[in-house]
Amino acid sequence: MTANVVTPLPQLPLSGCRIVERSRTVAAAYAGRMLAAMGADVVMLEPSAGTSLRKAAPLLDGTGESALFAYLAVGKSSQMCDMETPSGQATLAHALEHADIFIDDTPLCERGSLHLTPEAIATRFPKLVHVSVLPFGASGPKAHWDGEEINLLHAGGEGFLLPNGLSNELYPDRPPLKIYGHFAGYQGGCAAALSALSAWWVVDTAGGQYVDVSVQDAVLSVGAFALQRLGDGSLEHRETRRFRYGGVFAAKDGYVELLTLEDRQWSALVALLGSPSWASEEGLRDPLNRSRRGDEINAHIRAWMAQHSVDDIVLRAQELGVPAGKYRTPAEVVHGEHERARGLFASTQLASGMHVEALVAPFQFRCTPLRGGERVPALGDMARKAQ
Amino acid sequence: MSSSKSPLAGIRIADFTIHAAGPFCTHLLSQLGAECIKIESQTRPDAFRKPHAVYGRMAAATFDQVSANKLSVRLNLKQPEAVVLAKQLVGISNVTAESFRPGVMNRLGLGFDDLRQSKPDLVMLSLSSCGQSGPDSHFAGYAPLFGAWGGLGSMTGYSDGPPVEMRHVMDHSAGLHAAMAVMAALHQHRRTGQAQHVDLAAREVASAMIGDALVQASFGMTPERPGNGDLGKAPHGIYATGKPDRWLTLAIRNDTEWRRLQQLVGEDVCEERFATMPGRLQHRKDLDQLLSKWLACCDADATAELLQQAGICAHVSWTMQDIADDAHLRARRALVEVSAPDIPPRLAVGAPARFSRTDDVGIRRLTPALGQDEDYVFGELLGLSAAQRADLEVREVIL
Repeated sequence: MTANVVTPLPQLPLSGCRIVERSRTVAAAYAGRMLAAMGADVVMLEPSAGTSLRKAAPLLDGTGESALFAYLAVGKSSQMCDMETPSGQATLAHALEHADIFIDDTPLCERGSLHLTPEAIATRFPKLVHVSVLPFGASGPKAHWDGEEINLLHAGGEGFLLPNGLSNELYPDRPPLKIYGHFAGYQGGCAAALSALSAWWVVDTAGGQYVDVSVQDAVLSVGAFALQRLGDGSLEHRETRRFRYGGVFAAKDGYVELLTLEDRQWSALVALLGSPSWASEEGLRDPLNRSRRGDEINAHIRAWMAQHSVDDIVLRAQELGVPAGKYRTPAEVVHGEHERARGLFASTQLASGMHVEALVAPFQFRCTPLRGGERVPALGDMARKAQ
Repeated sequence: MSSSKSPLAGIRIADFTIHAAGPFCTHLLSQLGAECIKIESQTRPDAFRKPHAVYGRMAAATFDQVSANKLSVRLNLKQPEAVVLAKQLVGISNVTAESFRPGVMNRLGLGFDDLRQSKPDLVMLSLSSCGQSGPDSHFAGYAPLFGAWGGLGSMTGYSDGPPVEMRHVMDHSAGLHAAMAVMAALHQHRRTGQAQHVDLAAREVASAMIGDALVQASFGMTPERPGNGDLGKAPHGIYATGKPDRWLTLAIRNDTEWRRLQQLVGEDVCEERFATMPGRLQHRKDLDQLLSKWLACCDADATAELLQQAGICAHVSWTMQDIADDAHLRARRALVEVSAPDIPPRLAVGAPARFSRTDDVGIRRLTPALGQDEDYVFGELLGLSAAQRADLEVREVIL
């Protein structure tokens, strides 16, 4: 096992950008991960026991390594740093002296003793962009609150609104449902990376500064439409926040998502269904009327879907211009023809030496393609590299 | 528009984006100080200017979050002269953004290669369902389809139920990722002076949300849909409380937090089999039943406060009304009140972060009327005279 060799590649978007990351939450780790994917040199400062993310579920069969950590850490370097010790403080100081951006999710109550307050950092490193990423942010009456993914998705409003559509119809009495994985954390991390790059944009004129990012804020931000609906006088609820027609449908051998928003798409849907007599009714020509009769339309679509296979439905739908897609499994995504053609995944070596495929980045830079294929760093791999 | 106290002051965006994902990207950048010129036309107005029956909105939106902060001009891009004007706007902008289906901008003569001829250092964002390349690139889609294609939909749901469709958060997550990528491209441009074409496929953002499950799948494993459970934490879930539809979310990460919870719940949960995380995970159903019994008579809000004071991760499942009433979000300006002469005060989402120095971020103006900023954009920025603009309007170039 060798360390990631951080070779300066000036062609990558963030080549030359030096980032120090101190993370035990998905949000902070995802911020560093996105920046690393775009070419930044990201060093994780980890306690000698390793960040808790190294043990976070889900784990890989056989090796016991964290699939989550592998996804979040690929392309970064690791340096051991026990912040409570003088040598750890020296390591931190040395790292920050050479950094452009510092991403930190240390809880507020621990920052004073670890010399990680914004004032302490700004005094010692005036050109540094210091990004704080916390569940509820670093300011405001609940800044000291703690939260995991399930708490934050619901604190930001989206959790209460799920599931809608078919799941809610089938199980109306069950509790709300979280989105898989770490959706809230990823939004917080992405907001942190965006804000970090924005603050770094003006570092020559404004100097370094402190940036306060909250995962709860980020969830609310991407859920802005529900707030907009509240302003329009409508308090959304998962039972009523559903498409008037369309949504999730059970086909013979799997599930299909179908959604038609435009008139031409409705016409194409009617063609997909074989132009049944119910669909030619005069009253269904008006889109507003169709919305009012959504339940009736969905009942017809469900009956039709149940008789056809997913692949047949989506192939014909796309030919006709009906927005429809298969609910794909992770394996279908990893091995997908489209994803392969776009180079979405790259082989990645784990600390154990085993290989997995990891998603490179959810965007491409077509003039200077991202490289992918870096390693998942072993704990303290920078020290080994220096030897 | 923005001041030198905004991080992105001086950045200008030629914004051809429509619907939700692309406009959210440019809206975020405008909140950070970029000047955003929204280009549309009377013949093809953006979605918020029309009823949206499938979403249950039977009229145009009076306030539209993702169009806030933007300037509006009209250009009928089916007219060659309008395309020339669009290229001039691109020429004076730092970023060009579009979210049409791949091929549309090319057909208009506004594709990356076309624009690069007149602006060799073009920085352009193309945001689409499936990206600018690949066998599915022509697929049309919306947020639920992004989730379905990307795998997030199938991994979300009750363990014994169907997949779940993603809603606007999926669109806006794509827009948020796009804004981050655009900022990286701007840094690269500043450093190298070179052009860049950012190609964001919204379905790949959905895949990024299941990055761990994709690693498992590539290793030959079959990741399972966990519902509200967590493979490494117990108790973990959403629990009914004393008031109907008032749910409490709870996550216990370690034995220390468990012991704190035990002290609050009492002897009902003081069983040896729950003492360690492996034990709690093994007996999670029994544990959930006991906790549900305890919480069934509790006030959700008071219990969340109590648990937080004890150092336990808990929060009520909030409605948007709860959010609107929250002092914390208002204090952080994550939630801001906006108004205009024809729009009574209402709440909107503020800037994505708080900045200690360049702190002039947020919403500065609301939803623009179609073409309301043409005096500034066509007159001042492009130098068109009133007579020229009148002539272009008569000939439906500006429409």
